[in-house]
Amino acid sequence: MPRLPRLTSFGLALALLMALGCNTPQTTTRRSSLMDYLYPKQQNAPVPNPAGARLKLPLKLGIAFVPGGSSSWRVQNLMAPGQEKPLLDVVKQSFKDKPWVADIKLVPSTYLRTGGGFENMDQVARMYGVDVMALVSVDQIQYTDPRWYSFTYLSVVGAYVLPGDANDTRTLIDAAVYDVASHTFLLRAPGQSQMKGSSTWAHREVQLREHSAKGLQLAMTDLAKNLDAEVASFKAEIASGDRKDVDVVDRQGVSLRQSGGKNFGGSFGWIEALGALLILGAAVRLRRA
Amino acid sequence: MDPLALTAGALREPWRLWTCHLVHFGWGHALANAFALSVPLLLAHRQDRPRLLGMALLAAPLLSLLLLGTVGLGQYCGASGLACVLWAWVGIRLACRRESTFIGFLMLGGLLLKLGAEAALVGSFLIRPEGWQALPAAHLWGSLLGLAFAFPVWPRVSQA
Repeated sequence: MPRLPRLTSFGLALALLMALGCNTPQTTTRRSSLMDYLYPKQQNAPVPNPAGARLKLPLKLGIAFVPGGSSSWRVQNLMAPGQEKPLLDVVKQSFKDKPWVADIKLVPSTYLRTGGGFENMDQVARMYGVDVMALVSVDQIQYTDPRWYSFTYLSVVGAYVLPGDANDTRTLIDAAVYDVASHTFLLRAPGQSQMKGSSTWAHREVQLREHSAKGLQLAMTDLAKNLDAEVASFKAEIASGDRKDVDVVDRQGVSLRQSGGKNFGGSFGWIEALGALLILGAAVRLRRA
Repeated sequence: MDPLALTAGALREPWRLWTCHLVHFGWGHALANAFALSVPLLLAHRQDRPRLLGMALLAAPLLSLLLLGTVGLGQYCGASGLACVLWAWVGIRLACRRESTFIGFLMLGGLLLKLGAEAALVGSFLIRPEGWQALPAAHLWGSLLGLAFAFPVWPRVSQA
């Protein structure tokens, strides 16, 4: 009699152990840090040029993903080959028609060294001939939580049939824009996304990879939208004099700080003036008649 | 910033409400606007001219106040908004008189054509190579102000 309960309890403990071992909550973090790239820990942070930044419109803008830190993760490992360019293209497409942009260059992250600092940024900027660099860093966390019926994975068939994994992918992308000549920080904008889904144990990795790629794409779209708003806010700050370290000079050499933004004029064109002259002539003729 | 142009600071510096219609971005800009202003002044009936000048003095700050929201952090210079006030006002006055109805409607038609062209061709058409851009809102508000000033006297002119 005492042997049966002992066996039963041993079996139950083994089953529980297997269940836990097979399907426990799992978190995967992928991160690239702007601070680790621009300000490596072993170096002192360089002081920005006290004269500040003087941006001459239209700007040549470079955009690149910041490489990962000393850990094994690198941004390019997160993406399938060739995926980086379409992601940067999202930002390029939303800014290509802006009058203040002359050109946008997509810089491959392989050209940026881990912990390369401003020296590396300057090299890349010179290589691509850009005035301003937008450095994009990524923070992506993927959670996988077992659902209550994930114990059915023990039957092996369940691992292929029942979606017992709840997958959640959260992506935060941050773009920081720097003036290359003065190393002045100009503005930053975030982009974020969240992807949720369920998968079987066998399909988990596939879904996590899909969610990772889709999450990045959605976050980049959000970033492009936010970046547009941040540029408008940045411009307003310069025009109002709140950003004393930055000035923008337009194509005519007029400082944004002085013009306060736009120059509007009420104007009749010469074609309209010609029309007015015709009306005047008609009126004179009618009065004489 | 031009101290005479219309900016967001015009409420603290009220002279800007009048002076912005006098200053321009260049000689070409000033000449075209001066011509546009002179046409209604020349076509208006002699007895209407003092009233026209009084109305222009009153309409100038009203137009500036209406434009403050559009100008935002920028600045506005030019007399064409005021010219639109005069065109609308003189156009209505002339249209009400039998002997000048045709000219009045011609003026109003020309004004409508300008507003329509600006509404349809917003963008490249409005940006001038000198680094400023035309403000269609100034012309629209100017025309509406001119009509608003003209319509109360419509019945009196008709009877006359």
